Amino acid sequence: MVRRVLSLASGRISVVILAAIALLAIFGPLLAPQDPLATSSDTLAGVSGSHWLGTDYLGRDVFSRLLDGSRASVVGALEVALMALVVGAIPGILSVYLGRVFEWVTLRLADTLIALPFLLFAVAVTALLGNGITQAMFVTGALVSPLFYRVARAATLAVARSQYVEAALISGASLGWVIRRHVWVKVLPPIAVALAQTLGTGFIIVSSLSFLGIGVQPPAPTWGGLLASDLGYLSYQPWAPFAPALLIMATVWASNLLADAIRDVSGEAGRALFADRKTRQPVGGAV
Amino acid sequence: MTALTEIPVETTVDPVLAVRDVRIRGQVDGREIVKGVSFTLAPGKVVGIVGESGSGKTMTCRAVLGILPPRFEVADGAIHVAGQDVSALSQAELTELRGSTISAVFQDPASYLNPSIPVGKQVAEVVKVKKGFGRRAARQRALELLAAVRLRDPELVYGQYAHELSGGMLQRVLIAAAIAADPRVLIADEATTALDVTVQAEILDLLADLRDDSGLALVVVSHDLAVVAQLCDEVLVMRDGEVVEQGPTSRVLYQPEHEYTRLLISEHEQYGLDRFLAREGS
Amino acid sequence: MSVLEVTGLDVHYGLRRHRRQALAGASLTVEPGEIVGLIGETGSGKSTFARAVLGLVRPSAGRIVVDGEDVSGHRDRQWRALRRRGVLQYVFQDPLRSLDPDLTIADSLLEPLLLKGIPRVEAVERARGYLPRVRLDEELLPRLPGELSGGQRQRVAVARALITEPKLVILDEPVSALDAANRVQVLEILKDLRDTGIALVFISHDLGSVAGIADRVAVLYQGSVVEVGPARDVIAAPEHPYTKLLVGSAPTLRMAAAGRAEREALRALLNA
Repeated sequence: MVRRVLSLASGRISVVILAAIALLAIFGPLLAPQDPLATSSDTLAGVSGSHWLGTDYLGRDVFSRLLDGSRASVVGALEVALMALVVGAIPGILSVYLGRVFEWVTLRLADTLIALPFLLFAVAVTALLGNGITQAMFVTGALVSPLFYRVARAATLAVARSQYVEAALISGASLGWVIRRHVWVKVLPPIAVALAQTLGTGFIIVSSLSFLGIGVQPPAPTWGGLLASDLGYLSYQPWAPFAPALLIMATVWASNLLADAIRDVSGEAGRALFADRKTRQPVGGAV
Repeated sequence: MTALTEIPVETTVDPVLAVRDVRIRGQVDGREIVKGVSFTLAPGKVVGIVGESGSGKTMTCRAVLGILPPRFEVADGAIHVAGQDVSALSQAELTELRGSTISAVFQDPASYLNPSIPVGKQVAEVVKVKKGFGRRAARQRALELLAAVRLRDPELVYGQYAHELSGGMLQRVLIAAAIAADPRVLIADEATTALDVTVQAEILDLLADLRDDSGLALVVVSHDLAVVAQLCDEVLVMRDGEVVEQGPTSRVLYQPEHEYTRLLISEHEQYGLDRFLAREGS
Repeated sequence: MSVLEVTGLDVHYGLRRHRRQALAGASLTVEPGEIVGLIGETGSGKSTFARAVLGLVRPSAGRIVVDGEDVSGHRDRQWRALRRRGVLQYVFQDPLRSLDPDLTIADSLLEPLLLKGIPRVEAVERARGYLPRVRLDEELLPRLPGELSGGQRQRVAVARALITEPKLVILDEPVSALDAANRVQVLEILKDLRDTGIALVFISHDLGSVAGIADRVAVLYQGSVVEVGPARDVIAAPEHPYTKLLVGSAPTLRMAAAGRAEREALRALLNA
């Protein structure tokens, strides 16, 4: 699968960008040239040798804040995605197979989560579990999980009713075999697309939560938080939101590109066998 | 000598449908998907078109009805319905022609009916629009039509919805709607394909009755040579857009000239009922 | 020993008020090496019959014996064990939908072998060796179903069912979705199988489509088998009024269809 994704130009480009962002997340805080929290009287400064991206309204170095915030942003977005995958996609697949009770309960839960007012839910969870980045990610993940649940469930349903699954069952396949061989390949691409979308929303949600004082606490920077505060000073520094926006966009775009690449190659899953004599056949004959 | 006596009969009756060397082309790739189809149809006669999916038989019917899909056009040839050149008609005139002069039924009857309106009402609607009847008269006429297609209890069927009726009953309802405006030509495009064999026989009987009673001319389109053989005076065998064989049914069945026709016949003889039922002819 | 023995099979669908009977005491015996045509129209219960024999629906009464094993009371695990032995296979009507569009032809062919527990290398060899028997070329193996023609796909589906060397294969209208040339080819392949000792149950709504290949014909009507016999006898001299109606309704080339009056009389008799 990985090799096939990399064989596509879009796959390679997206992996390179995502790798760069991952490096940024790992090493970014160490590379920050200045203290990202140190204020100065030099507020809303323009681009200069000492401040590569200028300073914000408290005189903090924007470049350092951007680097320092990358870890919290990326980790936050990943946590959201992982959470959504675990509490959304997996129950979504299983809801088709684990019987009516499980199906009914999870369906109602998903409906309930959609209906919950987001901020109220976030505040309630913080009150219950305490404040922290993990709790914030839990809230966000739970919030987007119905999307994953529904996407995974719909894809699984389509496969579960198919004749080829029935054919596999007639040959003696177990539930595990059916999910591994037939279901997973079809559920993965739509989930990957949903994941890519969620990464984008994740940045925004993380920042709007930190605006409320939930999750990442205000002086600590995140990309979304930077974007939000930059927008408030648009009349002084119209170019300022550009840098965090570019990073967010690059991440979202690259993950979308990767999702597309996964979708494109997943149609060829299983081609690996007989690869020794494989000469790519022209696609034709489809009715 | 026999040929000489036959010809005057053919020419004295004006054909209700005349298709002359019709070619249909896709405008996108310029490929011809129907490569010259010709036949004439006199009142009370039946012509059959046999071919598999992709042979061009349905496209030919659609061209006759003036409902070719987008980006397909009649590139050459002429279609005359009751003496009128179809290509010379405006869209409004074509709509007027369909239903009142030429009509059609297709393979999947359920998809041509609105699931949320009783089927009888839909037949009455056709009567209202095509015949200009009032509400009560249209209902009366619709009931007559449902009886004419041998639905056992027209009053009951009138108020039923599509999902309450079997495939054979739905096809009868559609035939009723198709003959609502007393057309002179009825095209049955795979109209019995989705039905059970016993129901298919009933529908074929019904079509034969309509022909005998009202002089309706039929175009019967099927992938099954045997279905066409039941009913038709003349048969066209189509493959890949070409008419590979054309002639009176008995001639095509007993002295097939083209290899493909022979394949269709031998299939029935080797693998069909004909293997055991060689009652006549062979 | 019979390869399939079905006695007095009852199947119900739905619960309580919605309960309706799909099979009512259907019985059928299939011997090794014979081709049995099972004819039934809409609502006759022919699909239910197949599904019951394959263990996909649970009968409410009756006995099913597959290859000497009484499967009537089998639970999921026992069914899985039986199926993995590969003695019983099924061919669907629509080959496009019965092959996973994301699996290569090779992987689809291998599935039943791998499930049977045959090592991959050996399974690959077997899959390769099997293709000529269904008149397919080896170069199709790395392709996807979407890249094959309808006839090729159905031959792959047939190969997939036969590759485990089953004793009984149930085919549900295996040729109705095909064009004339492919239909003949698939029928010829099936005919060749008779000599290998495999028993085939060929399910169809149309007597005509199995007449040429079946040794025996069983007619399913309203959930029970109303007539069984050698194909020639059932078609040339049907006994049950429904069989007579079927034979009389089937379109044939030589205008052999029964008269309309005869059919109407039969219909009246059946409805009485």
